[in-house]
Amino acid sequence: MTQATLPKPPSQFSLRYGHLWFVLPGFLFFLAVMLLPLAFAFGVSMTNWSGLGNDLSFVGLANYAEILTYYPFYRAAFHNAVIFIAILIFQHTIGLYLAVLLNEKPRFMQFYRTVLFLPVIMSLVATGFVWTLMLSPNIGLVNPMLEAIGLGFLAGQWLSQPGTALAVIVFVTAWNSMGWSIIIYLSGLQNVPEELKQAAAMDGANTRQIFWRVVFPQLSPAFTALTVLTFIGTFRTFDVVYVLTGPLGAPNFGTDVLGTLIYRTAFGGSSFSSAEIRFAFGVAMALLMMVVMAAICWGLIRILRSREIEG
Amino acid sequence: MSSAPQLQRSQSDFGVFVGKTARTAVLVVASLWVLGPLFFMVIASFKSVPEFFINPFGLPKEWKIENYSRAWTDAQLSLTLPNTIIVTTVAVLVSTFLATMIAYGLSRKEKKFAMGLYTLFVAGLLVPVHAIILPLFIVLKAVGLFGTLLALIVPYIAMGLPLGVLVLTPIAAALPRDLVHAARMDGATEWQIFIRIVLPLMKPGLISVAILNGVWMWNEFFIPLILAFKPEVQTMPVGIVSFIGSYSTEWGLVFSSVVVSTLPVVIAYLLMTRQFQSGLTAGAVKG
Repeated sequence: MTQATLPKPPSQFSLRYGHLWFVLPGFLFFLAVMLLPLAFAFGVSMTNWSGLGNDLSFVGLANYAEILTYYPFYRAAFHNAVIFIAILIFQHTIGLYLAVLLNEKPRFMQFYRTVLFLPVIMSLVATGFVWTLMLSPNIGLVNPMLEAIGLGFLAGQWLSQPGTALAVIVFVTAWNSMGWSIIIYLSGLQNVPEELKQAAAMDGANTRQIFWRVVFPQLSPAFTALTVLTFIGTFRTFDVVYVLTGPLGAPNFGTDVLGTLIYRTAFGGSSFSSAEIRFAFGVAMALLMMVVMAAICWGLIRILRSREIEG
Repeated sequence: MSSAPQLQRSQSDFGVFVGKTARTAVLVVASLWVLGPLFFMVIASFKSVPEFFINPFGLPKEWKIENYSRAWTDAQLSLTLPNTIIVTTVAVLVSTFLATMIAYGLSRKEKKFAMGLYTLFVAGLLVPVHAIILPLFIVLKAVGLFGTLLALIVPYIAMGLPLGVLVLTPIAAALPRDLVHAARMDGATEWQIFIRIVLPLMKPGLISVAILNGVWMWNEFFIPLILAFKPEVQTMPVGIVSFIGSYSTEWGLVFSSVVVSTLPVVIAYLLMTRQFQSGLTAGAVKG
């Protein structure tokens, strides 16, 4: 009788492959939405298809070769790089400093922490509109405020001057992403063993020395995570530019980033006629960008991780 | 000997006071930098258009509550708000559930294909939406999902998997195997083990993943910009941007729409601040 109630032993097949039943449903979604379109996109990138109609022919790697000498691609990549470097500096200075201040457990710490992280959960579209309200030439509040306090000469057309438009994009991105650096550094700081700091203090190190020699090296995993995160985030910039300066990256492409360039090339911006849409070329740019970003990410992680072990 | 440290301490007491004030000031300024623009946005959402110009930073003379009711009708929030709720809820639930199944299935590295599939899913994080969206558009149209909410839900489910697998697989791998073995001995099927034992044990990780995916799905702009062309199937971020295209001077409506689109996430965040911060950070640090 007991023999009958026992489950029958699993077959050889289900022992070896049974776990894959759990993977299958998700994998089908993944296949249909990510893998097949990606393979299709790779095929398209070797044609001259405009995205509409059946007019296409195979051009091999010509699209990729063209990108190498395509000036707007470098211009857009340069803007992404500027945003990346500026945000990186911002995160590792102001973000780190705010995290250090919060780690000292000031009064209302919970309040500051909640507030400073708040923009992270907001959409970039909402963030863009918030700063449109502050900086727009029509309804912006910053210019009238500057005039009210006698600094009217500083007022400007922030979003339409080549010199300030990209800075505004950086500023708004910094506003939206500051919470990341604070929370990541804060959890890093909270993991620094108290004994380490006490031991250093016993040895006569001052606060500054303790921070730079003892605490900061312990933060290198946070530094790595934040750098990679910032890299991926800034090179995917799209929404903020779309809302603040439009899909053309106004003024005169001064804020054009890879996201908007690829979008315009593949799908057409507002002022582009359909004749100028080159879907295949846009897809080639997106794929090239993916490969280069993956390589840089991999390199960044390797360099920063090796630094972690030494530290 | 004893007077020197005494002197030093009295100096540093003053220093501590100044330092503390300066530090508080920094935190207050940073908080104002975040809250100030949000405050002005909420105020602006109650203003009539002329007041934007006459009275830029004062409180509105007349609180235009009807900005909100007009946003509901004219800016199509009556369509896009329910759409956003449906799309986010369905996609988060399905994607998190499927990611948990995958994580459990791949949690034992020595099993066939486990490492390869894990790497494949996680590599999905690098796939640029720009490259796959038009093929996706063509596929969705071919199978007749284009023009329905499923045109967003299906891609979101798949795009939520990489992060879910990344965060959940280590958690699944750390589950006590004895429990699973014991259940198997008691005659539970693999599916029962998953539903009754694995799923409840992974709950904290599931909440992290749900928040992580929920926030980006709620806020996503680019995918619906391409895949949802009419208000009936749009989510709020795209709805607002296309509204501003047609009525670019109706600033009061624009800002009330932005407030409505942001408020649900902010309320959820204020209710579960800890889970949001740790959940989002968990995904970010591992990613």
